[in-house]
Amino acid sequence: MRPFSYARPASLGETFDLLDSAGPGEIRPLVGGTDLIVGLQSGRIRPDVVVDLKHLADLPAGIEQVDGRLRISAPTSLTDIIGDARIRTWFPALAEAASTVGSVQIRNRASLTGNICNASPAFDTGPALLVHDAVVLLSSRDGDRRVPVADFVLGPRRTDLRAGEIATAVELPVPETPLRASFARLTRRRGVDLATLSLCCVVGPRRTRFAFGAVAPRPFVVDDDSGVLADPSSSPEDRDEVLRAMTAQASPITDVRGGADYRQAMLLVLGRRALAAARSRPVQSQPDGAR
Amino acid sequence: MSAPQIGVSTRRVGGRERVTGRQRFVGDVRLDNLLHVRLVTLDCARARIVAIDTTDAERVAGVRAVLTAADLPDPMPRFGPVYADRPVLAVGETRFHGEPVAAVAAETEEAAEEAAALVRVTVEELPAVLTVERALDPDAPLVQDPCLRKGPLAQTNTLREWHFGWGDVDAASAPCVVENTYTFPMVTHFAIEPHVFLASADHDGVTVWSAIQHPYLLQSTIATLLGLPIAKVRVIAPDPGGAFGGKQHAKFEPLVAFLALRTGRPCRLALTLAQTFQAVRRTAYRVRMRTGFAADGTIRFQDVVTDGLLGAYADIGVRVISKSTYLMCGPYRVPDARVHVRALLSHTPPATAFRGFGTPQVAWAVESQMDEAARRLGIDRLAIRLRNLAHRGEEVVRGDKPADGDWHEAVHKAAEAIGWGNPLPPGRGRGIGVAIKSSATTGASYAIVRLHMDGSATVMAGTSDMGQGARTVLAQIAANELGLTTDAVQVVMGDTGVAPFDLQTSASRSTVFMGTAVAEACRDVKRQLAGMATRAFGADDVGVGNGTVAVEGRTLSFPDLLVAGFAGVRGEVIGVGSRRGEADTAHPLGGAPSFYEFNCTAVEVEVDRETGELLIVKHVSVADVGKALNPAHVEAQDEGAAIMGLGHTLMEHLIFDEHGRIVNLGALDYRIPTTKDLPLELHSLLVENEDGPGPYGAKGAGEGGLFAVSPAVAAAVTEATGAVIRELPLTAERVWRALRTEG
Repeated sequence: MRPFSYARPASLGETFDLLDSAGPGEIRPLVGGTDLIVGLQSGRIRPDVVVDLKHLADLPAGIEQVDGRLRISAPTSLTDIIGDARIRTWFPALAEAASTVGSVQIRNRASLTGNICNASPAFDTGPALLVHDAVVLLSSRDGDRRVPVADFVLGPRRTDLRAGEIATAVELPVPETPLRASFARLTRRRGVDLATLSLCCVVGPRRTRFAFGAVAPRPFVVDDDSGVLADPSSSPEDRDEVLRAMTAQASPITDVRGGADYRQAMLLVLGRRALAAARSRPVQSQPDGAR
Repeated sequence: MSAPQIGVSTRRVGGRERVTGRQRFVGDVRLDNLLHVRLVTLDCARARIVAIDTTDAERVAGVRAVLTAADLPDPMPRFGPVYADRPVLAVGETRFHGEPVAAVAAETEEAAEEAAALVRVTVEELPAVLTVERALDPDAPLVQDPCLRKGPLAQTNTLREWHFGWGDVDAASAPCVVENTYTFPMVTHFAIEPHVFLASADHDGVTVWSAIQHPYLLQSTIATLLGLPIAKVRVIAPDPGGAFGGKQHAKFEPLVAFLALRTGRPCRLALTLAQTFQAVRRTAYRVRMRTGFAADGTIRFQDVVTDGLLGAYADIGVRVISKSTYLMCGPYRVPDARVHVRALLSHTPPATAFRGFGTPQVAWAVESQMDEAARRLGIDRLAIRLRNLAHRGEEVVRGDKPADGDWHEAVHKAAEAIGWGNPLPPGRGRGIGVAIKSSATTGASYAIVRLHMDGSATVMAGTSDMGQGARTVLAQIAANELGLTTDAVQVVMGDTGVAPFDLQTSASRSTVFMGTAVAEACRDVKRQLAGMATRAFGADDVGVGNGTVAVEGRTLSFPDLLVAGFAGVRGEVIGVGSRRGEADTAHPLGGAPSFYEFNCTAVEVEVDRETGELLIVKHVSVADVGKALNPAHVEAQDEGAAIMGLGHTLMEHLIFDEHGRIVNLGALDYRIPTTKDLPLELHSLLVENEDGPGPYGAKGAGEGGLFAVSPAVAAAVTEATGAVIRELPLTAERVWRALRTEG
């Protein structure tokens, strides 16, 4: 590990000062640190300064509802996200996906913004964030900028984060009508594993939306507007045809977690299962004990 | 006072400490004035070392030594349990990914790490031998310098070969001949505690700290390398946090000892988990097996060529290969057998002992052959095993120790527990497998038991408690013999300066060998007590029981006798015991097995035909243990072995790239089972006929649960889907590919 200095600013303003004083790539924000520490130890990430964002007075951990959106602030742990009744009601696939990240201990530390900014092609929350049109809130001294997660993640380990900016929150539009959603992933073992592939499915009254992870340089989303997938009376053959077309833009690679052809084939298998799971899921419009 | 302490599940000595984090492992040892060591390694398996420039590294503040081969005696000191082939540091050429070419000792971990990165090594990468096929290729480069070896094989990558067998296979015929090749990959031990080594030198010799299974062998290795008397080398071996065979023999202790001598300071090297992958692994096997069967399933012959892939140095892997393939025919009666075995060198991390000592590799082939024969002949897979399985007293190797247990009882028990023959839901299959392992052959264990004035006792034994419960079982044996509870027994281990010689903690030998030594030492104490009673009371009629002495009708406790016997001047009674397995030079293994460890494993598996994923619905392991001295511990050991067996069956394998680097180097991509990967039901059942050579009829236990997991699971997959797989692990992807081929 290359030596670096550690800064613990008390406000966003102090954070921006730090960002201004360092060049791009030389400074790394820290929230949960579950990816950062691994990167530091392997030497993949070699910052001069690590800036701890967990103690900013104007960026407390928490989830709040503002203007029809649910805003999850950067320091919020995945455990708190998974446990939030609003998330579980409106974005059950996100809760499901987040609960597969690492282990309990990891989820107690890890954050959703960190998961996004790490920009792994296999990041578990990616497909769920995409199907729900999640947006990253990027803050700098010059103000805020909102970028859809789908656009923010550019490719493996690459994001649209600009010099002087930090990701301060993730926002999710609260759906007007209840959604049926599901999450599926393939791993090499049942406990604690990185995804060989992951996907998320949302079934609306007519439109069905899929997002896929770990089968392309970044997660991607595809819509079925034909109504075939949403139609309970459609034939399995027709549904497979639509699913095959939807997964055609996947470009999986062969690595230690799986072969490209296996991943491609599993997209269809898991896609079918996720669709069935989403369609059979009861919908709930108001969170139990929503605060 | 003297309730039996045997056959009862007393609480594990040190168990609470282990689960609460209070146990002090070798990594917790703190020495004053310590230097921290980092290894300098290359980014490939095999390279010629052209030059090493330590200038920049030596300039780092806090660096006290940068050691290279040039700083060590010439010729380079080498060591190894069978062949002294492993250099303290690579000299001339590296032979596996992770082999150090230099080492840095510095005041802080950070300085050591920074300096290690600044050692400039000029190298020329050379092609590496990474597979069985390449090792056998006459055009392949030689892994070891022929000068190190003797005989005609020195010019090849075959370190040794053996021809086992009996009868005349060429003359044997059979209506059904099954011929297949099976492969078993390299896997790593993955002990939760990584290897940590400390060494300190002073005017009175050298002390080494290492969580090692065989402290006395390490002691003599260090003594030889440093030219010191054994008495001037002390090995302190805190209880290992998991070992599984990976901590049997010296690894970097010699290097750290040389650094301690050079710097005059205590030195410490702690490996990362990834570095343990480069330090220890299981021996990979390729087994080509031709088995002849009669129409009724009776085995007619076995004709086998087995290649075991060692790493760059022999370590104890060479013994793994010979000892496991000596039982290449399994626990069966085989009229004619021919077994050709080669131990091959490669540019990979040295293969060493691993729980099961080669038996899982052998059973993978033998048992898969039995299943295939049963399918071809239309015979039930349980029936074909029972037809061939040796009964007590029948030989499994011609002229050697016959079956020493009721193995049929174990198989029946497993079949009943798994519900063999009951209808199966769709998508499911069952499998059953059996295997035997040769236990320890030769070797000695010594124990001292000190009976104190209050009747409590201290046991001094050189066994290592690496989680298998040796402290508990040895305390139970002493308590039982002396009429105590285990609370009144202290077991002192892990220090060659204190406890007497024990050859090793391996081969499931400790209960049999050290247990017998402890029981003997207790009997020695009791003999001395009888003499004391005779002298103290002038009585001839003295009977010493477990905890009490009968003197002419009166019954005295041990403390009462000691008070009377020592007549006011305090003292203690010191008993000595030993158990030796003597060498038999005519025996292919150097001595006959002291017992066979037998296991029968049966599983019910659900196969997801679309993804290839396997779910172990039910898993039964039956161990023939003779007598379970502590049933809860024996079952826990057996369950642990079963789960470890599922690891190499379902997911574990080391993957190498073309440079000989381990691709899945670390916990991120080398997968072992988690609690979520366990069978939905796991049952450990015991057969106890008190027919073992250990105390109270005990045999060794704790390895058997691994033996036959792979063939049992693979056979279940075949029953569920028709797909036959002959390479491990049975990953979802591999099963999926096999199902696609199956159509």
